[in-house]
Amino acid sequence: MISYEPLKRLAGTRKDHDRSVRTVCQECTVGCGLLAYVKDERIVDIQGDEAHPVSRGRLCAKGMAFVQGLTHPDRITLPATRNRLQGPFEAMDNWEKGLDLLAERLRRTKDRHGPESLVVGCDPEAGLDFFLAALRFAKLWGTPHVYHPLSGSKDQMLPGERIDPWAPCPNWLDSRCIFLMEADLATTHPVAFGWVLDAQRRETKVCAVDTRHTTTLSKADMHAVIQPEGGNVLGLAIMKLLLDEGLCFDESISNRFVKSNEWRESFNKMVIDGIERKIGMLPENIQSLTRFLADNSPVTIVTGKRLAFYPYYGIWSTMARAMGWTDTHGGGWYPLESGQPRLNPTSDIPGSDDELPDVSKTGVAPYQLTADCVATVGEMEPKALICTGNCLNDFFSPFQPRVKDMDLVTYFGTYPNLTCKLAHMFFPAAVWAERDGLCFTNDRAIQWGCRIVLPSDACRSGLGFWIRLAQRFGWEEYFPWKKENGLADHTAFYNWIFDQSPETSGCRVDQLRDASQLVCWPVQDKTEAPKQITPMHAPSEIEPTIRPDEADRFPLQFQATRIISHAGDASHWWPWTRELEAENGVQIHPEVARALAIENGDTVIVAGAGEAWEGRAWISRMVDKGMVWSPRRFRENRVLVYKPGQTRDQSRDILKEILQ
Amino acid sequence: MSPSSEKKQLRQNALLVDATRCIGCHSCEVACKLEHDLPEGPRIIKIIQIGPVETGDGLWMNFMAVTCFHCDRPACVIACPTGAMKKRPDGLVYSDAELCIGCQTCAVACPFGVPQLNPETGKIAKCDGCKERVDQRLWPACALKCPTGSLHFGTPSGVVHDRRMERAVRIVHTFPK
Repeated sequence: MISYEPLKRLAGTRKDHDRSVRTVCQECTVGCGLLAYVKDERIVDIQGDEAHPVSRGRLCAKGMAFVQGLTHPDRITLPATRNRLQGPFEAMDNWEKGLDLLAERLRRTKDRHGPESLVVGCDPEAGLDFFLAALRFAKLWGTPHVYHPLSGSKDQMLPGERIDPWAPCPNWLDSRCIFLMEADLATTHPVAFGWVLDAQRRETKVCAVDTRHTTTLSKADMHAVIQPEGGNVLGLAIMKLLLDEGLCFDESISNRFVKSNEWRESFNKMVIDGIERKIGMLPENIQSLTRFLADNSPVTIVTGKRLAFYPYYGIWSTMARAMGWTDTHGGGWYPLESGQPRLNPTSDIPGSDDELPDVSKTGVAPYQLTADCVATVGEMEPKALICTGNCLNDFFSPFQPRVKDMDLVTYFGTYPNLTCKLAHMFFPAAVWAERDGLCFTNDRAIQWGCRIVLPSDACRSGLGFWIRLAQRFGWEEYFPWKKENGLADHTAFYNWIFDQSPETSGCRVDQLRDASQLVCWPVQDKTEAPKQITPMHAPSEIEPTIRPDEADRFPLQFQATRIISHAGDASHWWPWTRELEAENGVQIHPEVARALAIENGDTVIVAGAGEAWEGRAWISRMVDKGMVWSPRRFRENRVLVYKPGQTRDQSRDILKEILQ
Repeated sequence: MSPSSEKKQLRQNALLVDATRCIGCHSCEVACKLEHDLPEGPRIIKIIQIGPVETGDGLWMNFMAVTCFHCDRPACVIACPTGAMKKRPDGLVYSDAELCIGCQTCAVACPFGVPQLNPETGKIAKCDGCKERVDQRLWPACALKCPTGSLHFGTPSGVVHDRRMERAVRIVHTFPK
C-alpha cells in the first residue's frame, strides 16, 4: 500500500497561547466549529476546528473578523441614561441602578398606556437567550409585541394550516440537483456553499435563480435572473408547467395532498400569459428551467429567507411534495434560516396556550413592518421600546420617526450605533464569544457554543438582562436560572427550554459539549406515515407586484441584500471586513450609468418617494437594467438615481427612455 | 548549517490557486490579517472580481485570489537598497522588518504591485508565505481558512498530485445515474 495522504491539511497555530477553546461560530446558521487560542484573556488566533463534523476546519471571513469587535475601543462597557433624546448620556457605575430606573420608567409607561405599549426587538446579535427570555417577560407583562427577524414568517405560507415537516431536509447535498432560489449561499453562508461546490464535483447539478447575477449564479450549471418579488410567482409558473407536461409524481400528489383533484384543477385554471412580466423571465426560459429540474430529480429546493415574506411562499413546499422529492433521499425543501425547532418558553405561565405565541397579534412579520403597516395597524401604539442590535435601522426602522413621541427607548447592545443614539438608556451586552449559548444550524443540528473569553467590564447576556429586570417586578419564580454568584445559568435555562418542546425533549446541554457527535432535533417520527397536507393552490389571479403609476414615477427597482463581509450590525466594528466592500456602494447597470453620465466611483443620489441618500456608483452587470442594488438597507423599493446637479425629472426622463 | 537541515530547507513550496472554486468571500484576506496582525489598508492577498462580462452565452463572472508570486528572480529583492527583501532557499520571498526602511522601492520594482506599506509600522507588508507556520509544517493561513478549497498548499508536485487524486476520487464517486 502506498503511504500517501492526499488533500491533507496541516492545521494549527504558531502563536503563543495559554489555552484553547473549542466552540461554534455564531455569525450565521451554518454552525462551523472554531478553535480559539487565548493568551491573557485575549484571543490571539482563530482556527477552524478540523475535527468538527459540520465544517471540518473551514471558516469564513466573519468567523475570524469578529475578534476585532471584542476589543474595539468604542464598545459600550457601562449602562447609561439621559432624560432627553438630545442630551448627553450619563454613565451609571452599576447595572442595579440602571435596572431600577428602567423598571420604574416601564411601570410608568404601563400605567399610562397599558401593557401592549411595550415592544421588544430581538436582533439575532443579542442571542437566542435574549429572545426566549423576552417572550417570557412579555407574556408576564401582557404584550404580544416581541419581534425577531428570523422567526415569525412561518405561519404565513398557509394560514391556519401548518405543513410538516418544518425543518430543512437533511441529506440535501446528496440531491441530483440543488435548486438555489433567491438563496445566495456563496455570499451569506460561504462554508455551506463550499459543500455545494463539492457536491457539484460529484456531478450534482446546481441551478440558481436570483434577482441579480450573484456569485452563486456565477457557479451554477443553470441560472436565471428574475425581478425582485417575482420568486414565488416563478414557483407557481414552474408548478403549472410541471403539471401541464405530466412531469409530477402522481402517487405522491394523491397520497400527500388533501383534495388533490381540486388542487390540480386550480393549476389547470391558472393563466400563465403575461406572467413573464411579473417574473422578468421569458416563457421559453421558464420552460427550460422546469425541464432541467424535472430531468435532474431528486431536487432539493433551497429557498432564501426573503421569499417567506411574499405571497405564495407555500409553493416550494408544495412543489417538493408534488414531485415526490420530499420522500426521496437527497431531495425536498430546504428553507434557509429555519433550522430552529418550535421552542415554547411560556407554556408554564398562566394564560398561555400550548402553541408558541404568535409573533404578534397583528400577524405582521418583522420585515413586513413597513411604514404603511405600522400606520394602519391600530393595535401598535408603542410607547416603550426595548431594542437590540441596530434594529431601529433595520427591522424596526418604521418606528424610527416615532421615537420622539415615545416615553422610553432602551438599547441592550454592544456598540454605539444609530439605535443607541436614539435611546434614552443603554445597557452593555456581551457578544456571543463571551457567553455560553445554544445554536441551531440550518441542518437542524443543536450545538453548544462555549464562551471563549469573559465579557469585558459590565457586559451581560440577554438572559441576565431579563432575569434582573423580572426581579424588579417580583417574577423571580419565572426566572430561576441563576448561579450562586448571581449570574445567569445558561445550562439550566436551556435544559429547561429543551423539555418544553417535543422536538427537543430529553436533550441535555452536557451531551452537546462533545461536538464530535452531532445531535439533531427530529422533525417527524419516521415510522409514522407522512401526514396529508393542504397544498398551496394556484391563485385565480396573481397580484401585480408593481403599481404602474409607481413604475412611472420611479422607474428603477431597488433592492438591498447582505454582502459577504457583513453579518449584522456588529461587523461595522470589524476594520478587517469593513474595508473589503463599500457599504454605500450602489450597483448600476453600465447602460443606465452611461445614459445618466455616471462613472464608477461617482457620488450618486438614490431617491425614493419618501427618502433619499448618497452612495457611490459601482457600475456592474450584476444588476439588470431596471434595477439598482446596494448593501445599504433603505425603506423604498422604487427609486430614481442621479448625480448631484441633475434634477429628478431629468433622471426620470432619461431612465424612462432607456428602459422602454 | 548541517547537511540535513540544508536538505530540509530546499523543499519547495507551492500555493495552488483554483479560480474555479473561488467565491470571492475574502476569507483568505481576513485570515492573513489575523495571522500577521495587520491594520486596515494593506491587503496582502486580495480577491479580484472579474466581470460579469457579456459572452455569447450569457454573463460570465469569476474571482481570483492574488498574492505574491515569490518569483524565481524577484525584482523586489534586487531593488531593495538595504537588503531587507530576501529570498529563502525554499523559495519564499519576505521583507525583514529589522532592515526595512519603508522606502517602497520594492513596491515600484515589483511588476505585480505586491509590496504595500503598513501604515502602522511604516514598513513593507507583503506575503511571506507564512514562513513561520511553514517552518512548523503548518499550512499558510489563507489556504487553511479558504472555505471552498480554492487555495491549496504543498510542494509543486504535491499540489498537482492532490488535484489528480481529487479528480480520481470524483470519478469513482460519480453520482449513480
